[in-house]
Amino acid sequence: MNVIHVPRPSPKAMNPNRPANALILAQVSHLQQAESRLPLRYRSEIYIHAIKTEGEAAEYIREVTEAIHQAHADAAKRRTKRAPRRGLEIAAAAEQPKRKSKTKSSKRAKK
Amino acid sequence: MPPGLDSLKHIVVLMMENRSFDHILGSLTAVNPKIDGITGSLSNPDTTGAPVNPQPLAEFQGQLDPDPDHHFPAVDLQIFGGDTSASRVANMQGFVKSYFNQQQDVKHSQKIMYYFKQSDLPVLTQLALQFAVFNRWFASIPGPTICNRAFAHYGTSFGRVDMNPFDIIEPFKSIYTRLINATPKHTAKVYYYDTTSSTMEVANLLQNQPELFGTYKQFLSDCDKNLLPEYSFVEPNYNDHDTDSGEEVASDQHPDHDVQAGEFLIAEVYMHIRKNPNLWPNTALLVVYDEHGGIYDHVVPPACAPDQFTAAANNTGTGMEFKFDRLGVRVPAVLISPWIPPNTVVDRVFDHASIPGTVAKFFQVSAPCSPRETNADVFIEPNVQPVDPNRNLLSLATMRDDCPTFDI
Repeated sequence: MNVIHVPRPSPKAMNPNRPANALILAQVSHLQQAESRLPLRYRSEIYIHAIKTEGEAAEYIREVTEAIHQAHADAAKRRTKRAPRRGLEIAAAAEQPKRKSKTKSSKRAKK
Repeated sequence: MPPGLDSLKHIVVLMMENRSFDHILGSLTAVNPKIDGITGSLSNPDTTGAPVNPQPLAEFQGQLDPDPDHHFPAVDLQIFGGDTSASRVANMQGFVKSYFNQQQDVKHSQKIMYYFKQSDLPVLTQLALQFAVFNRWFASIPGPTICNRAFAHYGTSFGRVDMNPFDIIEPFKSIYTRLINATPKHTAKVYYYDTTSSTMEVANLLQNQPELFGTYKQFLSDCDKNLLPEYSFVEPNYNDHDTDSGEEVASDQHPDHDVQAGEFLIAEVYMHIRKNPNLWPNTALLVVYDEHGGIYDHVVPPACAPDQFTAAANNTGTGMEFKFDRLGVRVPAVLISPWIPPNTVVDRVFDHASIPGTVAKFFQVSAPCSPRETNADVFIEPNVQPVDPNRNLLSLATMRDDCPTFDI
């Protein structure tokens, strides 16, 4: 079968100043809801009701999507850092009374 | 077991935006009469009462501006022609009237009947002719994007018929959660285009499970490196934006985005699977549109078994409640695999609930699913005996070596 030619879009197709359609505005609103659940330090400073164009919406969408990923990545890092320490604490806590009781019993035995 | 099903390891779904079947694939009736597209007998009245016929005058961009209304009340008008009586019958006679409502311009309203010539869309029309095209794949709801896409992920929209954020209601889970939590564990990913386009797949999913997401660039790389998960859902670029590597033109085909950019995307997804000999024999690609975008289609959406949710009368915008017991307007859908014979035309009824339904059944994942998903037909038969040969679309005994190639 012959190779089928795929026409490229016209260079005029690109227009970030096009008014954002209802779908993009809905996406902005969904992401704002997601953003509101993030810790304050991850939130953007973009006022979404001022968003009118695709370019403006795109900027907000990028900031929030990256912030969500960053927040999750940071939380995952914190979990990994904490995990071994917690393991050691548990091990130490389990061993401490054992040693104490040994000491006590040996002291008692010495007496 | 049919070898096509036996070898199938990956299902990929690419969901485009807002075009009807007749608008995109309607011209193909002239090539293959089994395809239920445009014929000479179709029309819609304009607001003067004059009949308007579909015409092959659709343009890639600049024609459907403003974006045709496809919210629930507008689609109700498009399907029922404006009849709100209790005894009304769907007739698909309200598309021109609905578009007229937006600009009060009779001439402009007629453009909602325009469709593409086959030569305008060399990618999707060729794939439709070379593999399996669905004559009866409908949007899940006669309404807009978000609630329709929800059906593709959850098998339900949890009672929503609009674009608002929704809550996931237990016990229903997304198909991705079901797959990764299954025993044995399966792999699944939603690939959005990039962070500037992001996902339409419910912010909840992104917020709670970002590990399920990847970018389109990663999808292409995963194809090349044989790292594709068992189930992939690919999203187009939803907005025009600049990146460090240049301009990214929206490829979702949502009016008024450029349709050719979407054709290129479809070709690129297809070719990245097609050119990898480790992927092509064991992958099925479904290209489907989320809803019709307010654009004319002639097939009356059928009634269906209701969901367990109801949209209240004050939430539908029509003054009538909706029990999710009727499908939305018909959309283009094409299933691609080298095990499918050319010129396959499928007449069974599908909607987006068929997507999680098919994936769950094929990978044998059992988890609670909505009544709509339970009742939705599957487009790939589960790989368990007995397989009904009349339903199995991947039916060839040997793999084809004549599948199309695109110059991307």
